[in-house]
Amino acid sequence: MKTIHLVIDDKPIIAPEGTNIFQASLDNGIYIPGLCYHPKLSQFGGCRLCMVEVTERRTGHRFACAHPVSEGMIVKVNTPKVIQYRKSVMEFLLAHHPLDCPTCDKAGECGLQDVTHELNLFPGRYKTVRMDAPMIRDNPLLELNRNRCILCGRCVKACKEIEGVGAIDFQNRGIKTVIGTAFDRPLECSFCGGCTAVCPTGAWQDRTLGFKGRPWEFNKTPTICPYCAVGCTVVLNTKMESVRRITSDDYLGINEGNLCVKGRFGHEFIHSPERIKTPLIRKNGELCPTSWDEALEYVAKRFQQIINEHGGTAIGGIGSEKCTNEDNYLFQKFCRAVLGTNNIDNMANMKSPALNGLIYESVINGMMLASMKEIEHANTLFFIGADMTEAHPVAGGMARKAIRLNNANLIIANERGVQFNSITKNDIRLKYALGSQIILINALIKVIIGEKLVDLKKVERSTNNFDKLRSLFNAFNVEEASKITGVTREAIRNAALLLTKPGNCCIVCGKDIEESPLGADTIRALMNLCALLPAYNGDAGSGKVSLFFSRSHNNSQGVNDMGVVPGFFPGYVNINETSNKEKVEKSWGVKFPDAIFKKDHENVIDLALNSKLKALYIMGENLIVNYPNGKKIKEACQKIDFIVVQDTFLTETAQLAEVVLPAATFAEKEGTFTNMGMTVQSLNKAIKPVGDAKPDWQIICSLAQKMGSHYSYVSPKDILTEIENISPMYAGINYDRLKRKEFHWASSVYNKNKSTKYTFNIVKPKSSEIKENKDFPFVLLTGASLNHQGTFSRHSKSLVSVASECFVEINKKDAQVLQINNGDKVTIESAQNKLTLKAKVTGKLSERTVFVSEDYEWVPVNILRDRVHTPVKIYKETV
Amino acid sequence: MKMNEQSTNKEAVDLSKVEKVLEKYKDVRGAVIPILQKTQAEYGFLPEPVIDYIAQSLNMSAEEIIGVTSFYAQFHLKPRGHHIIKVCCGTACHVKNAKALSSKVREKLKININETTEDKLFTFEEVSCVGACGIAPVVMIDEDVHGEISPDKLNDVLDDYKKLGV
Repeated sequence: MKTIHLVIDDKPIIAPEGTNIFQASLDNGIYIPGLCYHPKLSQFGGCRLCMVEVTERRTGHRFACAHPVSEGMIVKVNTPKVIQYRKSVMEFLLAHHPLDCPTCDKAGECGLQDVTHELNLFPGRYKTVRMDAPMIRDNPLLELNRNRCILCGRCVKACKEIEGVGAIDFQNRGIKTVIGTAFDRPLECSFCGGCTAVCPTGAWQDRTLGFKGRPWEFNKTPTICPYCAVGCTVVLNTKMESVRRITSDDYLGINEGNLCVKGRFGHEFIHSPERIKTPLIRKNGELCPTSWDEALEYVAKRFQQIINEHGGTAIGGIGSEKCTNEDNYLFQKFCRAVLGTNNIDNMANMKSPALNGLIYESVINGMMLASMKEIEHANTLFFIGADMTEAHPVAGGMARKAIRLNNANLIIANERGVQFNSITKNDIRLKYALGSQIILINALIKVIIGEKLVDLKKVERSTNNFDKLRSLFNAFNVEEASKITGVTREAIRNAALLLTKPGNCCIVCGKDIEESPLGADTIRALMNLCALLPAYNGDAGSGKVSLFFSRSHNNSQGVNDMGVVPGFFPGYVNINETSNKEKVEKSWGVKFPDAIFKKDHENVIDLALNSKLKALYIMGENLIVNYPNGKKIKEACQKIDFIVVQDTFLTETAQLAEVVLPAATFAEKEGTFTNMGMTVQSLNKAIKPVGDAKPDWQIICSLAQKMGSHYSYVSPKDILTEIENISPMYAGINYDRLKRKEFHWASSVYNKNKSTKYTFNIVKPKSSEIKENKDFPFVLLTGASLNHQGTFSRHSKSLVSVASECFVEINKKDAQVLQINNGDKVTIESAQNKLTLKAKVTGKLSERTVFVSEDYEWVPVNILRDRVHTPVKIYKETV
Repeated sequence: MKMNEQSTNKEAVDLSKVEKVLEKYKDVRGAVIPILQKTQAEYGFLPEPVIDYIAQSLNMSAEEIIGVTSFYAQFHLKPRGHHIIKVCCGTACHVKNAKALSSKVREKLKININETTEDKLFTFEEVSCVGACGIAPVVMIDEDVHGEISPDKLNDVLDDYKKLGV
């Protein structure tokens, strides 16, 4: 990119061509007052405050935000004339701004206040006219005070450009201009709170703060969000050991200050009265509070007893997708070294057992090398089976940035229609028939090979097995594929054309694929596609193809990295290789009995079901609700004598336990989370643990102590050092460096295996058959929800107030036949169970499918399920 | 849904008319204003469900459409009367006491600026200049220009329109 040399306030500056003077100054630490310009939003030029004087090249008074830099330019930021001008602009702005700072929550962090103060403004020359518009409080989270608004338009742009919603806009003209919704209807949006974050005045406010403290009283601790797998940095605002609100920082982490509704408003669970504050022990059938000592002693005694009688393998362990890497590392170490069992697992691995291996393969083959941030630099975006808006909203914002700044093309393929708003000119939606995803991907490959959209010779040189793949596709018929998938030939061809355009291509493989019965084969087919794409024809250009795998929770990746799975030690080290076993034994100073790694192809839940487990140690997982087969998990748990649950709330699973240990939340501990882009980021402790709760790693340490093993970890730092030594993947992570900069393990692994040549997988095109079922004619689909995710959101009253009802979504046509209207009570019944919910009629779903989110913890949709596509019937409840 | 109560249309809004307009502009980018103009020509104003329908079809939010319609004086979100009374308030008319004309309309028809009489006969608007300063003060009713008009004369003119009816 061409660079420009200029001088701002006597400081020589180099800026990329096209930068405006405002941004160039900002990047070089020179302050220009401005209330409408924001680095992450498009330029507007509405507040008129950023006037500067240009004395060389295009001389005159210019608005810094609207004027691009040019070679040899000399800029003066604070000449007397400029200051005089700014003062008059501020006088106008303040002529109608109510100076109600003492009762405004924004005071102290208000842009308008800061500029007023800095310009030494005294009462203006104008008669002030107040608008006296009523406060708009039509939703539980955000409020709009139009009197304070200076019409800078930041909120309008944040809503449209980042969130893709456009729930607010300017209305009217001239002096009557206001910000608002159409027809003054109540705000209907995703409640990301982006408007409050960018608002330079007190016009948009976070209602949940409501006089709980002034900005300058808060201790601000940046840490990582405990919800989805994007791994946004949130800033906890605490006062007197309590979290009062969450703000964002534009310059920290990967999210550029963007958050979703959960990230910004879902913090109330930390101080929920329902938190478990002391250990609980079952006495006469009831869970009673007890001391740490008694609880741990009892657990140790029972574990020991079971080990003596039945061996360590009679104990199972379930790790947590929500706990830190350190917690999970210690958990598997405790289970393997102290309890002597390898019957450990985590929910992510139970839902898609092949995924870990496939992800690791993609990393080694160089397909999964990018961090989440790379989505912003994409030229083509391909979401397959992924619902970005609901599951990873902030990553959706990154995609919209790519669309806005790079004109990125968008392809969304899914078995149900998903919402994704953007301004892209090329937006291809491929809604494929349930279970036909492999055929769709193979059809794309066929078009690419058949029409030579890439340089096939280049592919042949750089990969293995291409001949075989090619011969497999000789017989493949796109016309037939189009019939099976229900996607038109043109759409398939257009998608293939976009995918083979040079430039950066980001592919996100979603949960709908990963958890489907043909998930592993689909991902292999997707990897084949990824290997084809970068071989651009001739000198068409270059680019990078990056594959991402959706993960549900904040540390779903980390829990697997840490080896809380039966097949791997930390860092995907194969457990069945003797040399690996010996290395771990040496490092941990233990000797594993041979029996514990005996392969019996049964997962923890099956073992329990076959009465082979006597005890289950569950850390931070609500198994009963989250396990995708409600009946099976209930039966399994009933067969276990002794269940220990370590969690923050008394979940459905904890209620079955004999001992419940209170764990600290993300705000109360240190450690690291790994996001779905393989980026490891560190948490910062903001408050002391609530009540007697303790961080999970400490609980495990104390328990190990009681069982005669001395773990001498003082902090998660020590644990991370051990992880660094034992897992080659995390080598070089360094805790102290992590505080300043995140660590990306995929690139470090790839660099060691660079020479690997990709070998094409031969995936036969097949679709998972969904049999017609007369009794249960519908198929139940599940997925993520924007507003909720598990235990934490359930106990955050703001989130519940925005989304208190979990709906069953049903296709318009089916609804018509069944005479179901929006809001009707509808029962969904499967062979296992039934559930009554309110209906939402939508055009997004295919016929004969219904959709229920799995993220509303109080709506246990999994009790209906016994497979991914569970057949159900639905009928209207008669009152 | 304040709007719906106000627009007590005899029939529920018929969306087929706006569908036709949208069909015509299907492949044109940046056609919001012409679409709104053609739609308004069909309905006489822009009812709320029609705006929502346009927004949905164009993959925009209703807010963005309202941003456009409320900016331009040519778009109307409320039902308009059969005759539009435009009292000119430009400089020349102002000097010639256009205010008295406005008061006359207000007092006679019992409506304020931008409102419509209950019988849907008249809508009263004030405009900045109609370009006929030579014959100020001016009142335009529909396309007819009434120059050098006094409040009394205006009274008679309005009576004539009333007699004519719809």
